[in-house]
Amino acid sequence: MAIKPEDLLRAIATMRGDAVCVPTMTTVPAWRTIAPDDLSVVCVGFMGGASSLGLGLALARPDRRVIVFDGDGSLLMQLGSLATVAAAQPRNLVHLVFKNGVYQTSGAQEVPGGLQVDFVAMAKAAGYREAYALADLDAFRRRFPATLRQEGPVLVELSTGLAEQTPMTAPGGKPFSQQVEELREKLREL
Amino acid sequence: MPESIPASLIIDVLKDTFREARAALAAEGYRAPRHEHLGWILSVPDTHQKSVLAALDKERAIRVLTCATEDEAVAIAAGLYIGGEPVALMIQHAGLYASVNTLRGVALDGRLPVFYMIGLLGREKDREPRDSRHSMVRYCEPLLDLFGVPHARLEGPSDVHLIPEYYRLSRARRGPAVLLVGLETS
Repeated sequence: MAIKPEDLLRAIATMRGDAVCVPTMTTVPAWRTIAPDDLSVVCVGFMGGASSLGLGLALARPDRRVIVFDGDGSLLMQLGSLATVAAAQPRNLVHLVFKNGVYQTSGAQEVPGGLQVDFVAMAKAAGYREAYALADLDAFRRRFPATLRQEGPVLVELSTGLAEQTPMTAPGGKPFSQQVEELREKLREL
Repeated sequence: MPESIPASLIIDVLKDTFREARAALAAEGYRAPRHEHLGWILSVPDTHQKSVLAALDKERAIRVLTCATEDEAVAIAAGLYIGGEPVALMIQHAGLYASVNTLRGVALDGRLPVFYMIGLLGREKDREPRDSRHSMVRYCEPLLDLFGVPHARLEGPSDVHLIPEYYRLSRARRGPAVLLVGLETS
């Protein structure tokens, strides 16, 4: 059964502590509402870049947990990033993949392979320290706190339904450049 | 045009550039890092800079991360910048073409300082790059001009002063700045 992405994000918000979060595409509008003005920076305008942006943050700040909210379509655009992340071995990186099988933002066209693509197997084969899949919100609530404490990189494939809003239906939020400078300033002080 | 630029010279200048960058970060209020390296090189291997990349493998003062694509390299550079780490990219001209959307989305629209060293593989010594027989070489400077990206050529030992200058330029203008490496390093 697919999890509502908004429910997942609300659960993450209660568990993340002071982790830096990197949402992309359909997670962006909901996260903007759930966790406004916090330690987050979105990846919009360079689809596929969330895992790499998160990797850079994780390498720069090994003292702080970094959580990437990737999408299946987004990750497929930069699938090689799995190997790059695994090679860098950031112990503080948690890579969540919201898997709904479609490019929802552009009209819900099916991604190559649809729901058959196995990101857990790919992450393990690339060299992630751990990878697992969940399709149940309660299971996520039970397991995610331990994931946040364990050594990364860890990938979690999450079977989700469609988001209520996308960056197309709910544009707005601060420009990426402003988010960058605000997060940079906050991290400098921490 | 000289035959080559010694890799050791480029690495020494990169170290000085990163030391200067660290001092600037400290002046901004960043705490001294707990690690010992001065900065990061993000590379997707480049033929012109291969001797530099080989020498960097043995270098403890600079960390090198090889990326699967140039798109990744630019996005990782963004994360490192946000986290207060000095960083430079070493890629090839084909990689610039491959990652134009990330250059636009991250470095230009995102106003992120990204310093690139881009190898101009195939650059002929007897003609200007814009007149090259090779499209990879010929289109590089016009493409950078189209996007308003400042660029210069690193084509001999006397040009290495451009490394800190263009690194500083990327920070000062909060955007991309490019050095085109027009010959093989040695």
